Amino acid sequence: MSAVLLPIMPPLIAAMALLVLRRGSTALVLGGATLSLGGSLWLLTRVAGGQAETLLLPGLPDMPLRMVAGPLEALLTVAVATVGTFVLIYAVGYMKRESGLCRFYAVMSLFLAAMQALVLSGDWVLLLAAWELIGLCSYLLIGFWFQRPEAADAAGRAFLYTRSADLGLYVAVFMLIGSAGTGEIAASLEAGGSASTAAGLLLLLAAMGKSAQVPLQDWLMRAMAGPTPVSALLHSATLVAAGAILLIRSAPLLTPEVLLVVGLVGGVTTVAAGVIALAERDLKRLLAASTASQYGLMLVAVGAGVPLAALMHLLAHAAIKSTLFLAAGDFQHARGGTGFDQLEGVGRDRPWTFAGFALAALALAGIPPLSGFFSKDAVIAAALSAQGAAWLGPLALAGTLLTGGYMARALCLLWRGSGETRPVAGSAWMRVGIWGLAVPATILGLAFGPIEAVLDLPAVTAGTLAVLLGLLAAACGLGLGWLVPAPRLLGPVYPWARRGLSVGGGLTVWVGRPAMAVARGCERLEGRLYEAVLSLGRAGLFLASAGERAERGLFKIVLCVGRVSLRVATYVRFGDERRIDGLIFALVAAVRALGARARNLQSGLIHHSLAISAVAIAVTLAVLLFASSTSF
Amino acid sequence: MLPLVSLTLFLPLVGAVLILCLPKPATRTVHVIAIITAALTLIGALSMWFQGASGAGFSQVEELQWIPAIGAAYRVGVDGISLPLVLLSAVLFLVAVIYTSSLRERPRAYIALVLLLETASIGTFTALDGILFYVFFEVSLVSMYFMIAGWGHEDRQRAALMFFIYTLLGSLPLLLAILGLYLGSPEPTFDMRAWIENPPLEGAAAMWALIAMLITFAVKIPAVPLHTWLPAAHVQAPTVGSVILAGVMLKFGTYGLVRFALQMTPDAFREAGVVVLVLGVVSALYGAFAALAQSDLKRLVAYTSVNHMGYVIVGVAVAAITLDPSVRTVALDGAVLQMFSHGLVTGALFLLVGMIQDRAHTREMGELGGLLKTVPMLGWTFVLAAFASLGLPGLAHFPAEFQIFLATLSASPAAVVVILGIAIIAGTFLKALRETFLGEPRQRWQSMPDLSAREWLAVGPLLVLTVGTGVAPSWVLGIIHRTTSALAL
Repeated sequence: MSAVLLPIMPPLIAAMALLVLRRGSTALVLGGATLSLGGSLWLLTRVAGGQAETLLLPGLPDMPLRMVAGPLEALLTVAVATVGTFVLIYAVGYMKRESGLCRFYAVMSLFLAAMQALVLSGDWVLLLAAWELIGLCSYLLIGFWFQRPEAADAAGRAFLYTRSADLGLYVAVFMLIGSAGTGEIAASLEAGGSASTAAGLLLLLAAMGKSAQVPLQDWLMRAMAGPTPVSALLHSATLVAAGAILLIRSAPLLTPEVLLVVGLVGGVTTVAAGVIALAERDLKRLLAASTASQYGLMLVAVGAGVPLAALMHLLAHAAIKSTLFLAAGDFQHARGGTGFDQLEGVGRDRPWTFAGFALAALALAGIPPLSGFFSKDAVIAAALSAQGAAWLGPLALAGTLLTGGYMARALCLLWRGSGETRPVAGSAWMRVGIWGLAVPATILGLAFGPIEAVLDLPAVTAGTLAVLLGLLAAACGLGLGWLVPAPRLLGPVYPWARRGLSVGGGLTVWVGRPAMAVARGCERLEGRLYEAVLSLGRAGLFLASAGERAERGLFKIVLCVGRVSLRVATYVRFGDERRIDGLIFALVAAVRALGARARNLQSGLIHHSLAISAVAIAVTLAVLLFASSTSF
Repeated sequence: MLPLVSLTLFLPLVGAVLILCLPKPATRTVHVIAIITAALTLIGALSMWFQGASGAGFSQVEELQWIPAIGAAYRVGVDGISLPLVLLSAVLFLVAVIYTSSLRERPRAYIALVLLLETASIGTFTALDGILFYVFFEVSLVSMYFMIAGWGHEDRQRAALMFFIYTLLGSLPLLLAILGLYLGSPEPTFDMRAWIENPPLEGAAAMWALIAMLITFAVKIPAVPLHTWLPAAHVQAPTVGSVILAGVMLKFGTYGLVRFALQMTPDAFREAGVVVLVLGVVSALYGAFAALAQSDLKRLVAYTSVNHMGYVIVGVAVAAITLDPSVRTVALDGAVLQMFSHGLVTGALFLLVGMIQDRAHTREMGELGGLLKTVPMLGWTFVLAAFASLGLPGLAHFPAEFQIFLATLSASPAAVVVILGIAIIAGTFLKALRETFLGEPRQRWQSMPDLSAREWLAVGPLLVLTVGTGVAPSWVLGIIHRTTSALAL
């Protein structure tokens, strides 16, 4: 087996085995994830030197499926597998009291495998396939409690939002394959050409859907209706990350105009989602909005032309955000909910969890020497050195400020006050999961140097100005968030932020309703068409029955003619002319036969008559056609 | 060597005759004979499959004199375009007779009709003679008419009549076109191979013939605006009728579009290609929107058929328009695979809707609800089939639609707007799943039984093939591709 398959196969096999055995086996799911992690690490050591591993698999004719693992891809598989493994360890504890574990573990494993396939895909077809499969997995996971209406709605919404945006990826892929003549990602990115601006914008659309960028951010908040380990996986290393990964990988294709749009979309999202997060009254929804905001920062880095900074932030964020979510899940079990009013003072009651949460929160805010400090610095430096620095710089700094604000607010609300804490089942598993991710969230900064050395990507060294501005923004944010309540901080924007900053009811109103209106219009048209055809059919039947009456008349005439000729015959016999006699008898016999035929025709069956008239028309038309075709 | 094609073709007919000849057979006997016959037919189709088809022209040709005076003969054979459809028919008829084995109401006549229809269907796909094709084409119509009229639901008479009028009047133009091709041939013959080898008509005559064919096939496919018989017929047809109608009979239209319109009047089709392309795009989008508006589960699936067959029209039109042979191959690969996939997926969906209707006696999504909890097996199979239908990768429709859209963008970029259909269909199925299967289980359906062994046997093979075709499409595409890449137009 090629080393490229090592990160993918174990979880895939685990998923199948779980489905076949129909038992939620912990050993299988954890085994799959750990082996995937081991495989990823091994893959990384093999390709760290720079030579990529490739693998061809049968796909469409003349378009084989291709897998490629260079240093970047291998690094991402390690990130995915790490987060996946610890989230699954945590999930064993978290889901202890749930039923339907077989389905849960199987889909989680499949999710992991699909994400690894997405990361390793070397051609567009495989990437598209993996891209859509992670959409399916998130549908199944967000809707894990499908009996609950809000979970069922959220699942459908997540799939529909991302799928609609995926149309961008479809068309972009067709354009790139069309212009490059190959499905290979690397080759088609180099080919570029006239289509690259349009293709770049379409890729951005797809990434906006998955990474929940404005205006497609709404589904991400609602997706909180799923189990918390799902949110942790979704937000850190899988579904939402896919959008940013797509843009990082296709960065060589993006033209300056597209880059500017990418940066602006990211900048606007980081501020808007930051504001939404600040106004949130539910811990999980706050974290969800924060995810959109942080991916906005990554897009800013891509837009600034420094995908390496985006990658750093992606890696740091993966560890940080999964820690935050896993801790939130622990609080949730301790208090029976994630609303801040339920969570008051839970931090004091669950100090170990809170310590992990606080470390990750400070890392996200960008406090040295935690991982987020380095990655955020890289993003800010990139934004300040970009062509559109006048726009991107302030947006990135505002995003950093807001990050500090909402994280401090969350910490404050979790620490102050008091409430009744219940014992949490499966606490040991959960603690391993949380701390397994909190450690990399803390120390990942150490790894950035070596990563930079391995990857062949342009880097921007953060100047003193960028570091200072970043630290200042983070510190101000933390201070304001801790000291000033959100309604006062946001002022008049607060009520709007509570509604998710939606414009005129959001996408549901702007896209959903027109689509349904068109659908209903089609349905009305259907009714009319149906009636029209039915009346046509009735008219045809009427004609047919008229034809039948005419036929009956004809039959009578024939009979009449027969009778007349009989009479003539009798008369002729009197004349004793034998030869004429014979002739007449022959005629009579023929007419009689004709009459009998006509009776056969008149079977009274509608389709029979129809068939006869149809054949008659056909023959006539055929003769006409023949006549005309010979005259051409 | 055995005449495999003819054996496969007439086996069901033999079964039908046997059932009709037995004096007062027990219901069980009838069903056993039907299943054995259909299984043997499938074995026949599989042997044909493993014989395969060479690249250019037809393989496994069998020929017998019939009416030498006018050059009509019994000629059958297959190529990479018809072979998948023959296999699909054999599979669908087998699962159909398995599903129907619980029928107690006049089973003898019903099964005889189903088996007659199987012969007619396989005959339509294998016929290499114009007259023979037309005969099979029409016989299928008659048997479907009686199936709907005799065993359909509440408003069946009207639906059956509509179906009959529509497709009968629709098939007349085809007869004219066939006559035109016959009369235009240098030596009068009904041999379709000769017509394909040297298209006999040109100029205005070819255009008229093409228009005639397009009318027939547009009714059969069905393409908007000639599709109104389809929802009516589907809603009233018995479950097996719907499965066969959507799974096999709609393909007569698209198969004819490739075999007749594209191969026998290629130049005229190239000229008129844009019109057909627009027709396909409109069909696909209209079908998708109409599906979104439905509240009846069976009508919804019927309209998604209009959408999916619209993609096939788009694929064939693109193949006609483009001058680049590699794009044409991709388009035709996609179109033929889409026919195959649609048969599997829509067949499964109609079976599942039938199972729901058998249990709940309603197809209104608003009245159902929470079924995933009540009948998990049925629910999850429906989820799988629904995601297959909305074109999820790893399931049968994805490779087909991917190729069609890819070719479309290369040949006529504007038509790629048709891709909106996959988002609308996704919305349609998500809504249907939400209303029918998700949410709180309802008290009313508490006692609903889950899938029985018979139902598993019916729907299971289709789902296995759906996944198999999605994960490794090359097992079908290989045989299709060999023919489409050798196609000279």
